[in-house]
Amino acid sequence: MPELSDEELCRKAAARDRGAFDQLVERHQARAFRLARAVLGNDADALDVSQDAFIRLYESAHQFDGRSRFSTWFHRILVNLCIDYQRRTKWWRRMLPLASPDEDPQEPGIDPPSDKPGPDLEVMQRESVAKLDEALKRLSSNQRIAVMLQAQEGLSSREIAAVLNCSENTARVHIFRGLTQLKKMLREDQTR
Amino acid sequence: MSTHPQTALIPYLRDELNEDERTRVADHLRGCAECRESAESLAALSAELARQMERMPVPEWMSYRAQLYRKLAARGQTAERRWWHPGLAWGSIATAGVAVAALILVLTIRSGPSTPSVDQLAVENEMAGADIGLLRNYPVVEHLELLEDYDVIEHLDELPPVAKQDDALRS
Repeated sequence: MPELSDEELCRKAAARDRGAFDQLVERHQARAFRLARAVLGNDADALDVSQDAFIRLYESAHQFDGRSRFSTWFHRILVNLCIDYQRRTKWWRRMLPLASPDEDPQEPGIDPPSDKPGPDLEVMQRESVAKLDEALKRLSSNQRIAVMLQAQEGLSSREIAAVLNCSENTARVHIFRGLTQLKKMLREDQTR
Repeated sequence: MSTHPQTALIPYLRDELNEDERTRVADHLRGCAECRESAESLAALSAELARQMERMPVPEWMSYRAQLYRKLAARGQTAERRWWHPGLAWGSIATAGVAVAALILVLTIRSGPSTPSVDQLAVENEMAGADIGLLRNYPVVEHLELLEDYDVIEHLDELPPVAKQDDALRS
């Protein structure tokens, strides 16, 4: 049986086909979590908001009209939820600048990927991932989203513009500046 | 091209540009080593970023989905409860009752003795003035035939019967 496209699965999910929804979740869970993680900067919020995005997807699947790709439509939902979440939690983050859900010992731990490459390489990889994570946090929210959508999701500038609700030229500027900043930060980090 | 097409470099490498733009950027890259270097390094960084993202720690997906489905189920129940939950229904009825009682109270207070409005006073004054004018001319009005006729009609029962009247006239 041929694998259904995201768009077809979404149409089935709109008709309350739970199996189709499950497939969409399995297909997009990792990328949704990583994008939310990159935007929000911590695992707990990323977990919560990416799950909310799937709930929103289930509830509004009937609104997907197929004019754009499913991934553009879904990322728009996810990015909007991330931005809303940031806006809502901004005031108390300002009040409690030291509080970080990542540092909470009660928070359930997140397992590293299963394909373990060996202890030394793993440490090196973890370090480089942590450095990249830090560098990403220093980008503006729009730059971070644009870079992630471009690099991880392979979205075009036009699709990124649709997600960010801006012009294509603005999306290109976000991508260019985001990548240039990252390059500069990572280079500075290497020379230290 | 006079300026460096920096923001078009990634779209160029990803083949997103239209033909005109693509030709312009390609022409520029042939003559600009700086942009060639920039395009290569940005493309390499983008690819590295995608690789690093794959290595980022992720949740245990089974429990992630279990939690998601629990949330979804809880949301469905909340939506249903919103419409038929008896507690909520009684609450709504009580609220509606309080609102109706408040409305009745307000209407009762407003319908009690109140100060007449300015317009109402003006009309009443005018009518009073007209009454006074009528009384002032009472002697004239008193002798109008109409009033005399009324006076006769009013005392018709006191007049003697018609036959008695004729006899009285003959004698």
